[in-house]
Amino acid sequence: MEVQEAVAEGSASVDNGEIKRDGRKQFSMGPQDILEGRLIYDGSVHADGRVEGEVRVTGNIDVANGSTVKALLEGANVTLKGNVEGAVTARDKLTLGRNARLSGDIQVRRLQIDDGATLNGHVRMGDFEQQASGQ
Amino acid sequence: MTLSSRRPGSRVPTRVPAEVQAETGSNGQRNSVVLGPKDRLVGQLYIEGDLRVSGTVDGALEATGDIEIAGGGKVNGAVTAYNRLVVGSDASLIGGEVRVARLTVEDGATFTGNVSMGKHKAPVVAEPQPAMELQPEPVAEAQPEPVVEAQPEPVAEAQPEPVSPRQGWGGGAKRKRGR
Repeated sequence: MEVQEAVAEGSASVDNGEIKRDGRKQFSMGPQDILEGRLIYDGSVHADGRVEGEVRVTGNIDVANGSTVKALLEGANVTLKGNVEGAVTARDKLTLGRNARLSGDIQVRRLQIDDGATLNGHVRMGDFEQQASGQ
Repeated sequence: MTLSSRRPGSRVPTRVPAEVQAETGSNGQRNSVVLGPKDRLVGQLYIEGDLRVSGTVDGALEATGDIEIAGGGKVNGAVTAYNRLVVGSDASLIGGEVRVARLTVEDGATFTGNVSMGKHKAPVVAEPQPAMELQPEPVAEAQPEPVVEAQPEPVAEAQPEPVSPRQGWGGGAKRKRGR
């Protein structure tokens, strides 16, 4: 139920809330959009505006510059350029852009932090399949 | 003085690596220390200036400037850089408490630890301690004051009455000692 609500809210405010790129689904938000709740999505998410709750995707998560995210994020490649508060799991790579601010523990296979980014939290690198599948 | 005059003499034949001379020279006031790929440090290191690690470090590093873990550098332990920490693409930083003002981790680097970012002053560790001491002090001062004021009054009234019996006992004790 929560998932459906979240998708409906996001797609309602953006015409192309769900578009397809290269055959993969993408859930795309705009700067004025708000997503509250739990989103489990088979595809990639472009997060913008305000996101609160939990976002787990099979594809990539991209948090736009200027956005505010208070959520648990889990994706293959996670790229942060905005303000994020919450745990982040990147099954492949996490990138913190120069404007990114992240407060939360992260678990990644690969990590890139650009100069200017702010990170407060515990970093763990390596395999984490057991924990990811357990949750 | 005798030791300092000997040191430069002993250094001349060994020749400090060109990297060290170049970095200290170009920075002028800023000190810079380089641990090369074959160098190894076990323990703690505090540097007033910059530190560049291409070797292996088991222990805690602290620098007032920048710390760069470059090449195949490996650091196992806490790292505190008052300015900037750079972990290169082939470098590794594992299992430490990381306190830095600025942080760059290049893709390919191995990085594990607890990161806290923000501007650091010299007494980073000392900051929480005075805060703990300051809180109890006002409480301790407030409690004793009323107690001390209340006590003297009844004590002053109570003292005069038992004076005579005390003197009587005291006199008896003196007599016993005298015998």
